[in-house]
Amino acid sequence: MKAPGDLARTIEIVLMSGLVSSAGLLLAGLASGSAAPLQWGILLLLLTPVARVVVLTVGLLHERDWLFGGLSLLILGVLGASMLAGAKLP
Amino acid sequence: MRAVAEPETFLLVASGAATGFVGALLGLGGGVFLVPLLALALHLPIRTAIGASLVSVIATASASATVNLNRGLVNMRLGLVLEVATSLGGLGGGVLASLLSQRQLFLVFGSTLLAMGLLVALRSGRRNVIADSDAEPGLLGGRLQEGERTYVYHVKRLPLGLGASLAAGAISGLLGVGGGIVKVPALNTFCGIPIRVAAATSAFMIGVTAAASAFIYLQRGDISPAVSAAVALGALPAGLLGARLSERFQARSLKILMAVVLLAVGVRMGLEGL
Repeated sequence: MKAPGDLARTIEIVLMSGLVSSAGLLLAGLASGSAAPLQWGILLLLLTPVARVVVLTVGLLHERDWLFGGLSLLILGVLGASMLAGAKLP
Repeated sequence: MRAVAEPETFLLVASGAATGFVGALLGLGGGVFLVPLLALALHLPIRTAIGASLVSVIATASASATVNLNRGLVNMRLGLVLEVATSLGGLGGGVLASLLSQRQLFLVFGSTLLAMGLLVALRSGRRNVIADSDAEPGLLGGRLQEGERTYVYHVKRLPLGLGASLAAGAISGLLGVGGGIVKVPALNTFCGIPIRVAAATSAFMIGVTAAASAFIYLQRGDISPAVSAAVALGALPAGLLGARLSERFQARSLKILMAVVLLAVGVRMGLEGL
């Protein structure tokens, strides 16, 4: 993380894009009373932090920051496990 | 989809906005207030309240993170290390839940918060920073710009910070909150992280913690789209606003507000267990 500025900026853009587009879908869903935009909006919102972890992992590995990149990869694994665990639960 | 036509849509948006604002101000997701508000005041089923709270926490925390990243307040390295503990805690939360009864959980949680509240209140006058801007911050420490001055801070007692993050993750999985209410005071009082950095770094992490729990709730059908959408739409702009305004507060005021919140929520949770 020698140049945290660039990576931080990219993450900021990713988070903001996720928030703005999911807010748009949620507003549209509430206003029209239809289910599809609400569901997509919520899914997009939940995926926003995941996208943040993906971007950080790729960024760190690209910078050859193996220690912190590895930690980030581990977190991605735990997130993946929770997605799978949710699907497996009765 | 009935909730769309129900009058409480406004109340839901307002609840999300109020908790998102206070949450972002203190680096929390606000779930610790939102769950009781939705369940007790608005009479939503507890699972619906937790599901909506998780969605709202993600909105608040992500909104704060954009503001805090821009200001350079997030310590990403420290966040990464603690996030590993937090996400493992989230997975372990289920195991812990099976060992303790609901009442015991509330008592443990309530008394922990009370103790933290007292600690934060007693230490509210202390600064965690070194005024010498040339000091070496170490692998996990960092620098903090405040006005014209640059401060340096070190990370102390990392195992305690890791333990607190593990506990915060477990609580998150159990109660549907992001866990910031445990992490921020622990990072500040035990690890020597300045309150603003502790808050920003915690907010950076809790989106991920809440997302991990939220996927489980989503797949079990416990996230009500209309309720969650209304709450999140309130939380999002309020989170942006709270994070922006936190800059105007002095570190000491933030700590006192934090102590008050800890004591109030601690008493509330403790009473639930008695």
